[in-house]
Amino acid sequence: MFIYREIVVFLFSFCSIVTVYSQNFTLSGNVTDKESGETLSDVKVVVPEKNQGTYTNTDGFYSLTLPGGKYFVEFRYLGYENQKIQVELSSSKTVNISLNKEQQVQDFEEVTITGEGRDANVKETQVGVIKLEMEEIKTLPAFLGEVDIIKTLQLMPGVQTASEGTQGFYVRGGGPDQNLVLLDGTNVYNASHLFGFFSVFNVDAIKDVELLKAGIPPKYGGRLSSVLNINSNNGNNQRFGVKGGVGLISSRLTVEGPLVKDKASFLIAGRRTYLDVITKPFMKEDGNFSGTGYYFYDLNLKLNYKLGDKDKIFFSGYYGKDDFTFSTGSENFSVDMPWGNAVASLRWSHLFSDKFFVNTSLSLTDYQFSFISNQDEFQFGLKSGIRDYGASLNFSYLPNPRHKIEFGVDYLYHIFTPVSVSANQDTTSFDVGEGQKLFGHESAVYVSDEFNITEKWSVNGGVRLSTYQHVGPFKRFEEEVVGVQDSSINYPSGEVIASYFFLEPRLSSRYLLNDKSSLKVGWNRNAQYVHLANLSAVSLPTDIWYPTTDVLEPQYGWQSSVGYFRNFHENMFESSVEIYYKEMNNLVEFKEGVLPQDNAKSNTDNLLTQGIGYSAGLEFFFKKNLGQLTGWLGYTLSRTERKFEEIFNNKYFPAKYDRRHDLSVVANYKLNQRFTFGAAFVYATGNAITLPVSWYLHNGDLQFEFQDRNASRMPPYHRLDVSVTFYDKPMKTVVDENTGKEISVKKRFRNSLNLSVYNVYSRQNPFFLYVENGGTSGADSFQLSVRQVSLFPILPSITWNFQF
Amino acid sequence: MNKYHSILILTLVLITSCTKEVIVDIPEADSKLVIDGRIETGQPPIVLLTRSKYIYEEVNGNLLLEALVSGATVSVSDGTNTVILDEICSQSLPQSSQEAIASFLDIPVEELSTANICFYSTANTSIFGEVGKTYDLKVQFEGNEYTSSTQLLNPVPMDSLYWKEDQEYPDNGYSWLYLSDPPNEYNAYFWECKRINIQGDGSTLDDRYVPTFNPAFDDQFFNGLTFTFAYENPHNFNPDTPLSERGFYQRGDSVAIKFSRIDKAVYEFMEIKYLQLQTGGSPFATPSNLPTNISGGALGVWAGYATYFDTLYCNN
Repeated sequence: MFIYREIVVFLFSFCSIVTVYSQNFTLSGNVTDKESGETLSDVKVVVPEKNQGTYTNTDGFYSLTLPGGKYFVEFRYLGYENQKIQVELSSSKTVNISLNKEQQVQDFEEVTITGEGRDANVKETQVGVIKLEMEEIKTLPAFLGEVDIIKTLQLMPGVQTASEGTQGFYVRGGGPDQNLVLLDGTNVYNASHLFGFFSVFNVDAIKDVELLKAGIPPKYGGRLSSVLNINSNNGNNQRFGVKGGVGLISSRLTVEGPLVKDKASFLIAGRRTYLDVITKPFMKEDGNFSGTGYYFYDLNLKLNYKLGDKDKIFFSGYYGKDDFTFSTGSENFSVDMPWGNAVASLRWSHLFSDKFFVNTSLSLTDYQFSFISNQDEFQFGLKSGIRDYGASLNFSYLPNPRHKIEFGVDYLYHIFTPVSVSANQDTTSFDVGEGQKLFGHESAVYVSDEFNITEKWSVNGGVRLSTYQHVGPFKRFEEEVVGVQDSSINYPSGEVIASYFFLEPRLSSRYLLNDKSSLKVGWNRNAQYVHLANLSAVSLPTDIWYPTTDVLEPQYGWQSSVGYFRNFHENMFESSVEIYYKEMNNLVEFKEGVLPQDNAKSNTDNLLTQGIGYSAGLEFFFKKNLGQLTGWLGYTLSRTERKFEEIFNNKYFPAKYDRRHDLSVVANYKLNQRFTFGAAFVYATGNAITLPVSWYLHNGDLQFEFQDRNASRMPPYHRLDVSVTFYDKPMKTVVDENTGKEISVKKRFRNSLNLSVYNVYSRQNPFFLYVENGGTSGADSFQLSVRQVSLFPILPSITWNFQF
Repeated sequence: MNKYHSILILTLVLITSCTKEVIVDIPEADSKLVIDGRIETGQPPIVLLTRSKYIYEEVNGNLLLEALVSGATVSVSDGTNTVILDEICSQSLPQSSQEAIASFLDIPVEELSTANICFYSTANTSIFGEVGKTYDLKVQFEGNEYTSSTQLLNPVPMDSLYWKEDQEYPDNGYSWLYLSDPPNEYNAYFWECKRINIQGDGSTLDDRYVPTFNPAFDDQFFNGLTFTFAYENPHNFNPDTPLSERGFYQRGDSVAIKFSRIDKAVYEFMEIKYLQLQTGGSPFATPSNLPTNISGGALGVWAGYATYFDTLYCNN
């Protein structure tokens, strides 16, 4: 606390010195889309003659403090027409701006003009940031017709796919649990559908996506490797609109509109798969898999209300559910496996003044997984879940154009049910121990300042102080000793069992070498209080989240990162080279030889072991922003290793997602207004895998001996996807009632058709490998072989999208 | 839990397009000594010594013979008597011990005389298994010494055995067991069986005891409880057995059950052994080595079986 106070005092005194010099006034306001009233974030606001500028925040708000005088102010935003206004500042002023969407690009000259807003990669202070443009990703090839933001992120340097087609992603050698996934500021735990093949984020409801890989600002915490920030659309506050899509396996529908024009709007988006409906007629009623089915659905709801010029209220909700059922008629065996997420947040944004504002949020996130099986009279049930209640306060203070100060408080109350098992046979209940709940308080205070020290040099620095308390009620099982009854300690409700705190300094800095290039550095230390331990080689909804306890310590680590950014040809091309090194402590793995059932009558953390790891890498990125052909090339060279006392004799071994090479090439070709082609190619070194090194016989059975952890490699992964999108004509001809002449007007109903082909050359990519136990001990010649299981061959799909 | 994983595997197999052989570099490992030792109530200790082989090594001929080693010094002690075991070969076995050895090696009785498999045992009755005793094993081979210890604990009798006809396949059914697990102590069990219907030539239908597919369980989840559960027939599981009979006992079968109590270390070996056999290299299990109770760097297990025998008549 002491350090925190010092920093606040320092920053405030510093700012006040700067502001004393001259009579300054503030220009502030909101920037919105003219057609929909949707607020636009990251709009560049520039005063060319003063060489000063800023960006709008997530609510589309900007604030610029300037000395009195007359200025031209420009507003620049990708895909929108630039707007230039003249203001006379003799007092502080509010100017709201609405931008027009750019008309269809006609010739090359216009294209270069649009390029002016595209220098954010060079000029932003933040290092290691990826921003996705929603319009761009909609024309890329989509797996089974589902446009997916996580899969698009996996095509970026430093971001890797866990395994074929899945949502799990690794950022710079960090585990899938080390990514903070935020939907409108609220944490989403297992952000996937269908065993990880689909994202829970419905693209029609998403406004913008940002992934931070390094130099993470102090306002974010709780994860080691990255922050994925997803903001949903507020809904059109001008008129009602409908958007939707019909695909091979699912359909989407989004309705948005004003509740009170210019004041309040809503957006509801829903999705559902119909695999179960389609396959039902083909399954015999008394057939082997008659009761087998799968579906998921999800719903997004967003409401916002402008209480006045100074206050806005937002509600964001997500509810999604997956349900897998399986049954065999003949063996009286059935399984029901539902799981899902619920996320809700309420945010109040208040302006104290045009330079000082606050966001107050309340949030809830809930993840539940259950598994129920029945065989004859035997029933088995398993439940797992997490619920977080959160509250946060975030203050922003912009004393002058040189400083952007943020400070605030975060609090989360965690309730974890790692696993709760029940087993019954007729009326007999098996004693599998009680399902334990674990409780914890996670809180943090932070302060940061984005400081433009000179025109060329800017720094975004700050510190976060985070704490975690593991509190009762809790039953601690002591590790069992052979022949001795297990002993346990009971902690009463509310008792603090273990307490941790971490000071997390963060820094990002940019130095402009010239107008077209910059050098950036980032350094951050992060702590993480929740852990995901997976027993298997693939990411599944069954992977169990487990909090920090008296036994399981928080993960913490640091990363430093340096990058060179250069744009060419009036920002038509952007490029970057980044190098990073990351160290991680208290990583979590299961001990060797542990079985999930060992969890009963014990604490899961007794089965876990902690160790250290590092990741080092080099990332290249080259992007063509403008013209008929756009796209990018990303390449990552990296090494990621881990070391655990209780695994593989405390020697370093490659993490299963250690990728030496990872290459993505993405291209979009806009032939004309009606046709757009897309293609994506990926190549990645195979996952590290543990395979048996030898076999032996025991009582006639062939057994395997494993030796070094992850000593073998799966074959490399590569794949090409292509797509084509057809749009209808944007204009139609009508006869003007007054003049009787034919004129061209914009159509209200628009539709497009997307054809995608996944894995064009039907590469059999490895999903997992196993050793075939084919031989028998009596055979004449015997040799074992390694076999590979692949999931998806060439998969074409078609999706029809509409909007009115 | 296993069922739960197998469902996930099945799901993946349903959506899986194909599997193929791949060549993957696996670092070569040193061969290790494998000790497969067993001592049962009223029976002599039997120890088989083999070597582990590199995963890609091609083996011509009988696997067991190719892996076999000889020339070791093997002794067993109960604390008072220490007996050095003799190297005995299967061709020279007296008929009385043929079935036990065939069961131990998991080969048909008639193969004992064709493949000459040598192992270590003794005719000295002072070291035959006795409930309540602890047996120490010592193996000296190529300058290394390997030691282990196992217990013959009080066996637990079954409450009853019964056969239940399957609803779909008449005259076929599983064997069912009622068991009252003793409270206040750790219990682990091992299930072996054979059909003893007399054939035309006077022999029994099955020539030896064979464990079921998941023969080992412990009382972690039902300590002190009485419960019932089913076991399939492992002798009737060939690919050419019709589905209507596969894994079932038929009406009229007589089944001898050998229900043994094993100690915790042996159970832990068996638990992972059968898990490994069932899951193979599936991605849903961590690669787990069988936890041996032998020190000195050998693989395998030295296992005491305190046996309890019962017979099931399938005709209710």
